[in-house]
Amino acid sequence: MIIEIGHFALVLALAVALILSVVPVIGAARRDAAMMALAPVASLVLFGLVAFSFGVLTWAYVASDFSVKNVWENSHSLMPLLYKYTGVWGNHEGSMLLWLLIVVLFSALVVMFGKNLPETLKANVLAVQAWIASAFLFFILLTSNPFIRLDPAPAEGQDLNPILQDFGLAIHPPLLYLGYVGFSVCFSFAVAALIEGRIDAAWARWVRPWTLAAWTFLTAGIAMGSYWAYYELGWGGWWFWDPVENASFMPWLAGTALLHSALVMEKREALKIWTVLLAIMTFSLSLLGTFLVRSGVLTSVHAFATDPSRGIFILGILTLFIGGAFTLFAWRAPKLKSGGLFQPISREGALVLNNLILTVCCATVLTGTLYPLVLETITGEKISVGAPFFNLSFGLLMIPLLIAVPFGPLLAWKRADLMGAMQRLYAVIGFAFVAGLVLYYIENGGPVMAAAGLAMACYLMLGALADLWYRANFGKLAFNVAWRRLAGLPRSAFGTALAHFGLGVTVLGIIIVSTYETETVLEMKQGATAEAGGYSLVFDGMRHAVGPNYTDDQGHFTISKDGVVVADTWSSKRLYTARRMPTTEAGIVTFWFSQLYVSLGDPMDDGGIVVRIWWKPFILCIWGGCLIMMLGGFVSLSDRRLRVGAPSRKAKVAKPVTPVMEPAE
Amino acid sequence: MLLWIIFACLTAAVAALLILPLARAGASVDDSAEGEAAVYRDQLRELERDKGLGLIGEEEAEYARAEIGRRLIATADKEANATASPAKRRASLAVAGVTLVVPAIGLCLYLALGSPWLPAQPLAARLENPGNNLDLLVAKAERHLAQNPRDGAGWDLLAPIYFRTQRLGDAEMAYRNAIRFLGASPERLAGLGETLVAANDGIVIEDARSAFEEAIKLKPDDARVRFYLALALEQAGKNDEARVAFEALAKDTPPGAPWLALVNEHIAKTGGTVIPDLDNNDEAVAAIQSMGAEDQQSAIKGMVEALATRLEQEPNNIAGWLQLVRSYAVLGDRLRAQQALDTGLQTFAPTTGEGRQLVALGVEMGLEPQQPIGGGAKP
Repeated sequence: MIIEIGHFALVLALAVALILSVVPVIGAARRDAAMMALAPVASLVLFGLVAFSFGVLTWAYVASDFSVKNVWENSHSLMPLLYKYTGVWGNHEGSMLLWLLIVVLFSALVVMFGKNLPETLKANVLAVQAWIASAFLFFILLTSNPFIRLDPAPAEGQDLNPILQDFGLAIHPPLLYLGYVGFSVCFSFAVAALIEGRIDAAWARWVRPWTLAAWTFLTAGIAMGSYWAYYELGWGGWWFWDPVENASFMPWLAGTALLHSALVMEKREALKIWTVLLAIMTFSLSLLGTFLVRSGVLTSVHAFATDPSRGIFILGILTLFIGGAFTLFAWRAPKLKSGGLFQPISREGALVLNNLILTVCCATVLTGTLYPLVLETITGEKISVGAPFFNLSFGLLMIPLLIAVPFGPLLAWKRADLMGAMQRLYAVIGFAFVAGLVLYYIENGGPVMAAAGLAMACYLMLGALADLWYRANFGKLAFNVAWRRLAGLPRSAFGTALAHFGLGVTVLGIIIVSTYETETVLEMKQGATAEAGGYSLVFDGMRHAVGPNYTDDQGHFTISKDGVVVADTWSSKRLYTARRMPTTEAGIVTFWFSQLYVSLGDPMDDGGIVVRIWWKPFILCIWGGCLIMMLGGFVSLSDRRLRVGAPSRKAKVAKPVTPVMEPAE
Repeated sequence: MLLWIIFACLTAAVAALLILPLARAGASVDDSAEGEAAVYRDQLRELERDKGLGLIGEEEAEYARAEIGRRLIATADKEANATASPAKRRASLAVAGVTLVVPAIGLCLYLALGSPWLPAQPLAARLENPGNNLDLLVAKAERHLAQNPRDGAGWDLLAPIYFRTQRLGDAEMAYRNAIRFLGASPERLAGLGETLVAANDGIVIEDARSAFEEAIKLKPDDARVRFYLALALEQAGKNDEARVAFEALAKDTPPGAPWLALVNEHIAKTGGTVIPDLDNNDEAVAAIQSMGAEDQQSAIKGMVEALATRLEQEPNNIAGWLQLVRSYAVLGDRLRAQQALDTGLQTFAPTTGEGRQLVALGVEMGLEPQQPIGGGAKP
């Protein structure tokens, strides 16, 4: 019975979402307080219904209720409990329900944190959110219903896709969706502003926490997905320029641009129209990503279902929202008043450069992702646009952006002194160059570009620190005075520095791994030895093991350096019995930031086995940098000023020193 | 019924929650733009602080203050222009809409999509109460064996079920485990052999042959095992030895035994003379073959009825019982086949040689012999 109540709650949610889509908009247009007051209540009710429905589906998974078709298709009674929970979104229907849950969760959050928003804006934002929720509710109920029943119920399920039976499934999709869907709030704010035909600096302030939160989660989600692919797929790679990866990377690029342009708008009321456009584009790219991944157009581990009717439905949603939003933009944007003026050399100018490069990067990735699809549709010719295209085009575009990153926060608003900023960065550039060379000599060898790349990474990291250094005025003021000034800086300044520093760490990891990693493929018999990254590995032999729903052939390796044993690891080939599907569980040993990666291949007739060994120097910097960026996002999000605007707060005495004309965020 | 009451309550609660804000009287639009003004006032305060600390020049501060000031004035203008108009009628229209839309959409869509007659069926509860569902019984036994993998009787019970449901890999494992924990018996060895043959497209592989040979040592008169051993000879190309074995088997087979036709087929194949089946009256068979499909069916049914009546009077005829069970099963009458099997087993206890033949046939036909396979039969 509980299953049917969950199903009914989802149907009721559609009714509520439809009402919420219409009534508050009319209310806002006619300035009817009662009709607008419906919006917050209905948003909370909507969230309650969807959350209940999601809870019921989770219960069905945990209790192994195979009378629910979705559970039967994607679960197994002997699966570990964690995977019964994560299996809820490890399939098409469930993941769409998770998507919906996060949309309505964000609506509920807007209700809770948006007490200071003007009534009409709030009503319109919540209504636009409800449009998105309605579209996805229709999609779920009509084409991807997770509550379809089976009668009689089978005795055992078909098991979850083994590649998804991993802790990564518990983290990657929810984080990614929090990012993807978080941008829907920015989209709703943009559309609401266009409906009202009015937009100002306060709008940017209200949108910023949502952009920041979505961006932070998306960063974490992409990084987690990358690490998961790295250790689970057994190929030793961490980024493949796979269309599915690109689908999540494009909203990230656009979202990063949005984050920076919203700053300009908040401080100077400039770039208003551009910011609105970016907000629409970012969420459109999120929707496009969903379409590419879910429609089965792209074949990958993410394509749970290749049902053409679903593809057409998503295409319809896509056309409606993206087309509708751009039409609205074309109609209303000319009516928006443009704002403040600025010189090319200024903080605004630097941020415009940032936006320019990021959007061009985004367009490049979009072209590389869609071109093969379009070409195949038109001419039937199959081509693949792979890493060489992206590395060259994307890499070249990133160089000027990375050079500009440390300059931005050091430039003043409106008009700035480039030479002054240059002078302050001299020391940074010098240090970075020396550090790059030192690292180059330590690793000894490799192309000249790598040295430049290393210098670039160090320059980014030191530049981020220099920003804080000069703000606090270390070197000119006494140490303890400067320290107090540092402590008094707004949290968003630390957020900026952390995010830029993290970017440098990621670049460092990317450059070192791509230059110095080694790959060894060889056949090993028991007792054989191999060398990688200065370590020697001894293959001790194989053993057979049985897990709850799989069997395992595990190889044991002992790792030693200069004759001293430092570590050991198991690397295995696993067979999931229900689906007769093999997976690779690589043996990974971490030494500081570097890793040894051991993956088993096929056994040979003479008793040996093919072993692939990678030495991945500094690889953890790639994801460590993302974690630092994410930390920067959260630090910035905790800034007091993001919460300002509630009238009751204005009496409070504010914090100490804040530097020149609003610092960088 | 309870389900519909819950649905009604849920719908009513949701509709009431939505109507509440609409019905609230005297609500007026809050157009104070206080939120916006607060943002700008905060910007101004920060500017003053910076100036006070000497972080910003007098001139720049002046510019910035003017800019923020303009934004503040704009919000004040907006406030002045705003007018509130209470609109009772429109709100009541919305109330009507809500009361109509929520139940209408909820009910219509649910009736189209839902399965209100199905209860929730968590696996644990279903395993507690498996009833007659064979899949569930198997799942339950599997769980039991996952906990107690050394329980030979469990493997013995599952093995023939796996064989019948074509899970040959599992059947082989189950037979091997049963033999390991309970010891070899003709039934288990023969079952293992038969599983291996089925898994290898009918070829009696070496493993299967050795299992059959061990079985025949324990029970020399087992027709099934003798048949497979003869088949192994035939497949090995030893036609003469195979023919001798098949002919000996046919001679020992009681008239009317269901496998006789198959044995005769192989005798013919290896170049021997077929021993006619006495019960299968050739003339009758020829007569039936010349009839139309419907008549054929009724004629066959008539013969089966006659056999059943004869067995009621003279139950001590194992070949007759075997034929009756097989006939009913082939005709698709599972109920009668089961009854015939049960009645036959009353005469020939499952522990006796004849009884085992009945049980084996029952298993082959997908019936449920009273005595679980191998449960009581020990060598």
